Amino acid sequence: MSKRAREASAKARAAAQREAVRKQEQRKRTTMLTTIGVIVVVAGAVTWWSVRQSASEQVTGALAPVTIQPDGPIVMARPGVTAPVIDVYEDYQCPACKQLELTSGSTLKNLAAEGKAKVVYHLLTIFKQEPTMSNSLRAASAARCVTDGAQWIKYHDRLYQEQPSETSVGFGADDLVRWGRDIGVTGADFETCVRDQKNVAAHQQYSAQVIATQKLPGTPTVMLDGQSLGTTAFVPSALREAVLDAAK
Amino acid sequence: MVQLASGRPVLSPLQSVATALSWVTTLARLVLGVSLFVAGAIKIGAPAVSVQAVKAYELLPDTLATVVGHGLPIVEIIVGILLVLGLLTRPSAVVGGLLMVAFIVGISSAWARGLRIDCGCFGGGGTVGADQDPGYIWELLRDVGFLLCAAWIVYRPPGRLAMDSALGLAGSRELGTAGDDEDDEDGSDTD
Repeated sequence: MSKRAREASAKARAAAQREAVRKQEQRKRTTMLTTIGVIVVVAGAVTWWSVRQSASEQVTGALAPVTIQPDGPIVMARPGVTAPVIDVYEDYQCPACKQLELTSGSTLKNLAAEGKAKVVYHLLTIFKQEPTMSNSLRAASAARCVTDGAQWIKYHDRLYQEQPSETSVGFGADDLVRWGRDIGVTGADFETCVRDQKNVAAHQQYSAQVIATQKLPGTPTVMLDGQSLGTTAFVPSALREAVLDAAK
Repeated sequence: MVQLASGRPVLSPLQSVATALSWVTTLARLVLGVSLFVAGAIKIGAPAVSVQAVKAYELLPDTLATVVGHGLPIVEIIVGILLVLGLLTRPSAVVGGLLMVAFIVGISSAWARGLRIDCGCFGGGGTVGADQDPGYIWELLRDVGFLLCAAWIVYRPPGRLAMDSALGLAGSRELGTAGDDEDDEDGSDTD
């Protein structure tokens, strides 16, 4: 009798304990799943925001006229648009400059086409080691052989597309000539100009002068009315906003 | 000096060691968590810069580098917050530790290949100028330090001031000891 009763109560207690543990485990699992759910939702929202605000624009419509200044800079602006000024300091061989062009190049073109800004490209050579220095010089010299503004901007974009690795020799003369032909640069003098690297000295002089006077921290540097935009230049929506604010 | 009359003085050194160790976990969580959060927060606004920083290592194909560049700041921020809060502590520390291993591999490989990279860890992107020292050794030492923090947290989660404890998500060892008194009849479960 008494033994039976003891056994029964022990069983009951064991069952109650199992039940308590089971409930605790269940509560733990619910809390865990809720937490993970919240984290996933937050991560999703942040990803969506990040991708959206950093999305690149598309170039629709025609570009603003591009003019090549004899002393070096290249201006892209609608006639009569003189402000705000966006100065773009870049190097054909610099990977971060390629990233800038991929990300915000279309925004710069659109802003110029809309008459919202005057865009000025300054092509530099920041590298002091090989093979990057010679790559950069060959590309910059070749781009200066393109004398038509509309073709220049196409050539500029093509050079970034074809940018070699920083550890290998690239921007070879044959390629530089072929890319020019691809975008419609005709004439034998272009080829001679590229192969003889006729503009290297002029480019180097301009590059050194700009780097010294502007005290550039590196490339790419994008300045809006003389003030560096920092990483804002890499965020198309923020870049556009800054330029539109400056125009007010 | 120590009172031997009560049983307490014998136990308390052990307990205080345990307490101290769990505060070490808290400290490790703060160091690793705040660093990850800051590193992510600086990068999150400009993912293109972060993508560029990943590409600079020349280890991943461009598509994957883009995904990592966008995703890394988000992961860093979330794991950083979780570690500071002490929520899902052990898995967060595992993720944090894996990130550090990836960074250590990336930096070592860049160093070995003679690439000159500003690691992009704290916001900078891309390459350093010819005159600058990339400072790889310091980056490596720092990341090894962070890895040790992560390892400690994985070993002894969740530490003091952790939401895991408040929510009852902490390890099951403590739960097991809660409701036990009887000695047992082990064979009784015959269902």
